[in-house]
Amino acid sequence: MIIVKACLLVILNLILYTSFGALVLSRKNKELSLGLSLITGFFVYYGLFFLVCLPYMIKYRPLSWLTRTWVPVAVCIVILSFIVCRKSLIKALSDLCLNIKSDKNTSIIIAAIVFVQIILVTITYNFTLDAAYYVANVTTSVNTDMINVYDPFTGLWQDHYEMRYFLATYSINDAVFCQLFNVEALVFTKTVMSATICIIVNVLYFMICRQLFTDNSKAVAIMMAVILFVNMTFSTIFTSSLFLLTRTYEGKTVVGNLSILAIFYIYMLIVTEKDVVSPWLNMFIICVCSLTISSSANMILPGEMLLLFVPQILMKKNFKTIPKLVACAVPGLIMAVVYVLYIEGYFVLYTYPTG
Amino acid sequence: MQNLYIRELGIKYLHECLNRFNGSTGYLLLFFLLCVFLYFKGSEKEKKLFVPVAVIMGITVYNPLFPVIIAKVTDVSNEYYRFFWITPVIVLVPYMITKFILFIFDKENNDTNKKLYLVLGIVVIIFCSSFVYKDGFKIAENIYKMPNELIEISEIIHADSNDEYPKAFMDYEYNMMMRQYDPKMLLTIDREDYLYAVSRDYSTDMIYDKEKPQYRILAFLARGQVFETKTVLDGFDMTGTEYIVLETGNQAIDRLLNAGLSKVAETENRTILKYELKDKKPFELVDYSEVYANGW
Repeated sequence: MIIVKACLLVILNLILYTSFGALVLSRKNKELSLGLSLITGFFVYYGLFFLVCLPYMIKYRPLSWLTRTWVPVAVCIVILSFIVCRKSLIKALSDLCLNIKSDKNTSIIIAAIVFVQIILVTITYNFTLDAAYYVANVTTSVNTDMINVYDPFTGLWQDHYEMRYFLATYSINDAVFCQLFNVEALVFTKTVMSATICIIVNVLYFMICRQLFTDNSKAVAIMMAVILFVNMTFSTIFTSSLFLLTRTYEGKTVVGNLSILAIFYIYMLIVTEKDVVSPWLNMFIICVCSLTISSSANMILPGEMLLLFVPQILMKKNFKTIPKLVACAVPGLIMAVVYVLYIEGYFVLYTYPTG
Repeated sequence: MQNLYIRELGIKYLHECLNRFNGSTGYLLLFFLLCVFLYFKGSEKEKKLFVPVAVIMGITVYNPLFPVIIAKVTDVSNEYYRFFWITPVIVLVPYMITKFILFIFDKENNDTNKKLYLVLGIVVIIFCSSFVYKDGFKIAENIYKMPNELIEISEIIHADSNDEYPKAFMDYEYNMMMRQYDPKMLLTIDREDYLYAVSRDYSTDMIYDKEKPQYRILAFLARGQVFETKTVLDGFDMTGTEYIVLETGNQAIDRLLNAGLSKVAETENRTILKYELKDKKPFELVDYSEVYANGW
């Protein structure tokens, strides 16, 4: 039964993210990319979740209050998305089915590659230190019905919020789901979210492969298999590949394998002058919303934006891109500064009313 | 990276950091070699996508001066390796390997050196690779992906304790895992304190520091440092630690039993001891109802 529940929750996640993304990316008379909707929608979802979660957290309100607020918000957005974007979604889904039917062999191979990864990430045992935070924070939040007030490592009450984790509300969403669906945190994080992240990352891989090998489905299938091979062999305790296979559910893994690569994908589309809906809006969403998934995004994503686009700006002398680049990079830098100020003792956020 | 500091190593930091990051793999180097190849032999599209990224990363992230400059603003010693993740290894390397495979198996191309290229390619990949499951492929024992023994220990302690939230000291591995499964198990030692204990002994001042009673507990139980058992028992009282879970064979077990602790149970690899606290204060969740009554 629990496996059936886990599978249904994975499907629910994918529907949620795609709905959120479709609402942002759907345009009249333009084809909706299901893949980009899923990926952008993932970040939009967590960005919006952060905005709803923040007042409850700052005012030390119960997790259950947040759950009761967030569920109707999410449901309304999904319904709105189905109403506003139904034509685009139906067309995109039917195109997907047609593509699968027209190239069954390649589709089966790619599905098998993804399935193998899902099995690997959901059945293997891995001891990782950061799970002591990521998963224990979920169990602690559900058990105490509070958000980040109790130390996940010891269970004791904390008199102030740890800024390192404060803004990354990714694991709090896990707690909401666990509370809502009565699922154990270990099952939700290490099975449901691992499978979900694995699927989304592979959708991104597929989109990248299709950009590099246009109209060559055989090459796409081969590249997907080679990507799996490289991920399985580019393995030291620091590589993003190892994180993907052994710590799939962690926020750092999402930043290292999804955020960074999604920005690179959009960079590919811009540089090769492909027609894509609102590429800079997409990048802004990914850059800003990744901050709510892991504090690692504070420096890495602004760094990536500068590394990718400064050469392009200089080579093409396209200085109109600079404000867009700044808009994407600055939020992360601001968060990094906020964290440094906290470390240096300039401010503290308490878990109880002061004064 | 742990124990690698920019302010100590200066320009040598990058070299050390890369050595640890790469381990026995060579994919980062392969990425840059492929970029050089693309510069001379690649299509316009391939050059546009990968060469500028490689050049700018070579000047910045892979420049030994770069971490030193960043460290003037903030210490990134622990996080610098994450900049390496920006390198699109997982895009370029599989892309070029795929092109290589298509070239080798292209029947229309009669290059006579294909077999040699294939052998060289396989050798390069083997040298670059370090298999993720080289230490063994471990399948989880249950749906929680936790050792069955950990679940058993949780059940034993809760069955024995009169408190809803018993407090325990555990060995390193189970200390990091227990609260992922059981949020009602309070732990004496937090993650950062245990990380210190993994590789460092405690000084006498630290052992007798009344502000940090966890140090004496870690010194005695995790580091095997020898001093009066009463000091450790005082540490249990100061921290409210009632249960001590140690790997069977830990020399501290006999000393604790001689000091008056009782054995609750033995599991496959661990022994659970109980200490009678002098002044037991059951843990309770903080009541915020008055705060909520005052509104937002």
